[in-house]
Amino acid sequence: MSVMAAVHPSERAESDVVSNAEPSLAIRVVGLNKSFGDVPVLRGISFDLSRGQVLSIIGASGSGKSTLLRCLNYLERPTSGDVWIAGYPLTFATDRNGSRRNPTAARIARVRAEVGMVFQQFNLWPHMTVAQNVMEALIQVRKLPTKEARSRAEYYLAKVNMLDAAERYPSRLSGGQQQRVAIARALSMEPQIMLFDEATSSLDPELTAEVLAVMRLLAKDGMTMVVVTHEMAFAREVSDRVMFLHGGLIEEDGLPSVVFTNPRSERCKQFLSKFLG
Amino acid sequence: MLGLSLFWEYRAILFQGMLINLLIFALSSTVGLTVGLVACVGRLSPFTLLRTASAGYIEIGRSIPEFVLLIWVNNVMPVALSAIVGERIRFNPILSATIALGAVASGYFAETFRAGIQAVPRGHVEAARALGMRTPQILRRIVLPQAIRVMLPELMSQNIGLLKTTTLVSVIAVPDIMYQVGIIGQQEMKPLPLYTGTAIAFFLVIFALTTLVDRPASQLQRS
Repeated sequence: MSVMAAVHPSERAESDVVSNAEPSLAIRVVGLNKSFGDVPVLRGISFDLSRGQVLSIIGASGSGKSTLLRCLNYLERPTSGDVWIAGYPLTFATDRNGSRRNPTAARIARVRAEVGMVFQQFNLWPHMTVAQNVMEALIQVRKLPTKEARSRAEYYLAKVNMLDAAERYPSRLSGGQQQRVAIARALSMEPQIMLFDEATSSLDPELTAEVLAVMRLLAKDGMTMVVVTHEMAFAREVSDRVMFLHGGLIEEDGLPSVVFTNPRSERCKQFLSKFLG
Repeated sequence: MLGLSLFWEYRAILFQGMLINLLIFALSSTVGLTVGLVACVGRLSPFTLLRTASAGYIEIGRSIPEFVLLIWVNNVMPVALSAIVGERIRFNPILSATIALGAVASGYFAETFRAGIQAVPRGHVEAARALGMRTPQILRRIVLPQAIRVMLPELMSQNIGLLKTTTLVSVIAVPDIMYQVGIIGQQEMKPLPLYTGTAIAFFLVIFALTTLVDRPASQLQRS
């Protein structure tokens, strides 16, 4: 289901939903700034991402890559700048008179439902079984009847090869299994975009491989993905585009073949040399 | 042996007294939990004024001894209110006891609620937000079910403490068990069996209550 179809006509009237983005764009970011107190973390980030593309964001710790990702679904509130997700302005809504105001909670929640996010720490809810974890937002947000939510949850758990664990609690699962459930939970909402925030950073190499395999599959299916990662081999092999962030600025942005073999920026060269040897 | 037969002899009136203790406990616990929850929400609110006011209330509630507050609410508050309204106001001692004990308890309950809510990892809330869940849904479905498990043991011991504290209310002439024991003790000139009997009675009541609550509580914690 597209975002546009989900909008009630009466709500569409108050906001210029698609006027600033082309339909082929999944994400448009313009002049995005984010500071924590006096500390600037993102400094004027702008980029477009087409539908179906996989973008990997790399960079040292503190370069702002996770913050950038979290601004894309408003888990962090940008200090200034604009973000459009599938044509929706997420950061600021504009009323009929053209004045800007913060988006309503309803708007934010609706856009978030179109953007799946996978976290480094999995963040499964420990008091619910695997199946309940996946069904929760389907029932609460998508308003599906329990039966339908259940069958959809099973479909996506099967997709990440976790259907057998449907009735188990997260604490009984390995990190890799938990992360695959978290991916199923995000996918079951049938989002247009998936965000991965260092999804494999707290897993050992063997478990990392099983999670990356699921992510590869998603990319092959044509899912639009933004992946913050330290897995350079994965970024190189799977992405359509790689972005290197440093000090809250985009230092390098291009095809993986170019960024990994012939980066223009000296900092990017240094950073990559640590990984690629 | 201890002459507990005297305690037994007055069992009807002492039982009534104990019921008053339980009534005041039930009332002040309800007030404490309700006001405590409100104060906790205020304490965690993003609005500075609300946060400061709630924090102030909690600190005051926790800093005034129950004994002092009982007397103040029963004897000073009506005078102050009468002066404002211009009409003579008197508090029923049971009402005074409920207000005073409820106020102190709410300060402690609020902090227990806060500890429980803050024990839920931020990531769990963020995951729910990222899926498009709204704040009331997140509280009801994600935060509270987890927080309650953390709060439960502390809430139980605070409630037991509150039940014990109800034995102070005789100071404002609430006819609770201690009030009755005091009167009978003076008449009979035998305080030993009466106070020993009261101690045993409280032990039995609290032991029964904790046994009753323990099982469902630990079931909830395990689930």
